[in-house]
Amino acid sequence: MLVGAFACAHTPQLLIRPPTEDREIVLRVHAAFARVKERLAALRPDAIAIVAGDHIEAFFLDAVPALAVYVGTECQGAFGPYRYRFPIHEPLARAILEQGVERGFDLLYTQSARLDYAFFVPLHFTMPAPPVPIVPLHVNAYLPPQPTPRRCHEWGAALGQILRSRPERIALMASGGMSHFPGTDRYASPDVDWDRELLERLQAGRGAELASATAEELDKTGNIELRTWITLLGAVGDSRAAVYCYEPSWHHGNAVVEWPV
Amino acid sequence: MSDLHYPFPPAAAYRLNRCLYAIKSDPEFCSRFLADPRGAAAEMELSEPERSALSPLDRDALVSLGGHPYLVFMAELRLRMTREPGALEYF
Repeated sequence: MLVGAFACAHTPQLLIRPPTEDREIVLRVHAAFARVKERLAALRPDAIAIVAGDHIEAFFLDAVPALAVYVGTECQGAFGPYRYRFPIHEPLARAILEQGVERGFDLLYTQSARLDYAFFVPLHFTMPAPPVPIVPLHVNAYLPPQPTPRRCHEWGAALGQILRSRPERIALMASGGMSHFPGTDRYASPDVDWDRELLERLQAGRGAELASATAEELDKTGNIELRTWITLLGAVGDSRAAVYCYEPSWHHGNAVVEWPV
Repeated sequence: MSDLHYPFPPAAAYRLNRCLYAIKSDPEFCSRFLADPRGAAAEMELSEPERSALSPLDRDALVSLGGHPYLVFMAELRLRMTREPGALEYF
């Protein structure tokens, strides 16, 4: 069963703060993460299914999957001095893979790919004690052509049905966003207005509208990573979002959000 | 789909992107690159314009050569993290 749904920013400056980063903003996002951690502890999930966009870490140009499921016994990765390792909830991962394929989604699966920091950062700050196993779900955000928002939403709807039919208590988490433009001329100009307008729509339970967004719109507003949120929105339907924080830095719209399920 | 911030990575830039990926994700290569940028770039069979754009790292030049903007960004960040770890606060 699905017991909770969250979206969390994962920008690395929240984990490793350079002097260019406003410490107060970072700490306010950490406070929102702490609320998610408390919520997860109260929800007592058996597993966290986390949807993130690999930052060209597990999947380089040798093979670029649109959608992927980690189905090993564990997964691991590294970012800077951090070395991390998480057990995978294997029966749940297998069920998502097999039932996803059955429902018409040609999912790539991996038993060994490295785990990107997009998965690690939210889990580092929100994993309840004692920790629970995870199921990492990749949605291609950075290597065009990415799956369309419509396709992400459809995958999320199927994923939601699969999770609800399971005996385990499952929290669903989307990692990424909001507006940012790493490596481009727009890095110092995130589209904060677009982010705030979207958060209002999500608070009004209008998340399904994002399925109609175009790839160009997501790219233009610095929101290619919102494919992970759109996937989650397919699973939570018209639930009204509770925004724990929106803390734009000079380059990144940091948001933490929960949806009642 | 033209003028995207994150365009399709041109196949002609595969080696360049592989080098940026190695700087980002392979700590041993990153260390070799820091010690000897041109030697490490030669190891990756890069063209002369690609080698020049990598040392010193020139974001605009790398992107115009087909480097993926995110890989350029994170390669630069990794080099900085390796060079100046003391300037960072870890949570």
